[in-house]
Amino acid sequence: MPGLLGLLIFLLLGGVLQDFLSLPVPAAIVGMLLLLAFLIIRGRTPQALQDITQTLSPLLPLFLIPVSVGIVTQKSLLADYGVELLVILTVSLIPGALVCAWIMKGGRSS
Amino acid sequence: MSALLQTPLFWAALTIAAFIAGQQLYRRTGNNAFLPPILTGIVLVSTTLELSGISYTTYMEGGRFLHLMLGPVVVMLAVPLYQFIHTMRKQWLRIALAVTIGSGVTVACAVVLAHFWIGDDAITRTIYTKSITTPVAVAISEQVGGISALASAFVIITGILGALMIPPMLKATRMDDPQTLGLTLGICAHAIGTSRALELGPQQSAYAAMAMTLTATLHALVLPWLV
Repeated sequence: MPGLLGLLIFLLLGGVLQDFLSLPVPAAIVGMLLLLAFLIIRGRTPQALQDITQTLSPLLPLFLIPVSVGIVTQKSLLADYGVELLVILTVSLIPGALVCAWIMKGGRSS
Repeated sequence: MSALLQTPLFWAALTIAAFIAGQQLYRRTGNNAFLPPILTGIVLVSTTLELSGISYTTYMEGGRFLHLMLGPVVVMLAVPLYQFIHTMRKQWLRIALAVTIGSGVTVACAVVLAHFWIGDDAITRTIYTKSITTPVAVAISEQVGGISALASAFVIITGILGALMIPPMLKATRMDDPQTLGLTLGICAHAIGTSRALELGPQQSAYAAMAMTLTATLHALVLPWLV
């Protein structure tokens, strides 16, 4: 539980900072960067945070179902552009994956 | 029966049940890449809504309790990211270049194709978020004027396609050493690619998780200014 409280505090801090500086970045991302800075300064991950990470990580897909179900409100859009979107998503993966792999592989093999 | 369908708790319970069913199906089919638990969960809940004629707004009165947890989960990504800082120290330049250029290329392709082929502004804004892990993609799509439900669908479909296409593609081009394969899966296929990497080996999995988190952080910081 202290781990969850910690996450919520950093989320709230992220919201306050985002609001204060009028950042276009979401509050959760600001909170994540604040937590990262905290961990770097502290030099290790507190046990409570490690525990909550292990508890919440497997549940992540569950928390994403409600927003994803919102696809039912986009039926006309999918009927109009479904095939095009599938082709775009497939085609755009190929150059991206090859460039990633080429950069990561490059140098080490030669 | 109709009173039950209006109860927020019913929809929260149904969402959890659909997720458990998805996990069971995934395990029973030997971790089939076409059947990530989240996809089964979405299909089951959406079908129930369609059949019962209940609106998404009514569903969300229950669903929002689960949705609320996305905030703390995104903050939590700092924990694995911090642990990776040690791993990447020696290779930071190559990793940074691969994450920046690789994810940039795939997003640019998708955006250009969507802009000229479909030409719908909301779709183009949404497709920018296709390479970010879903919780972050949802938050960003709201920020840049996209459609968050559609963002989630793009990310999940990209993840499934990437998990299926990337391993054979890199094998064919002989770039399938564990580190390269893991990194590419993490950048291009985020969480679903990362769970595929977990099945391939520990090194693939660590590089995939790191690449996924770095890509999400980079895009979360850059896209709101760019779009």
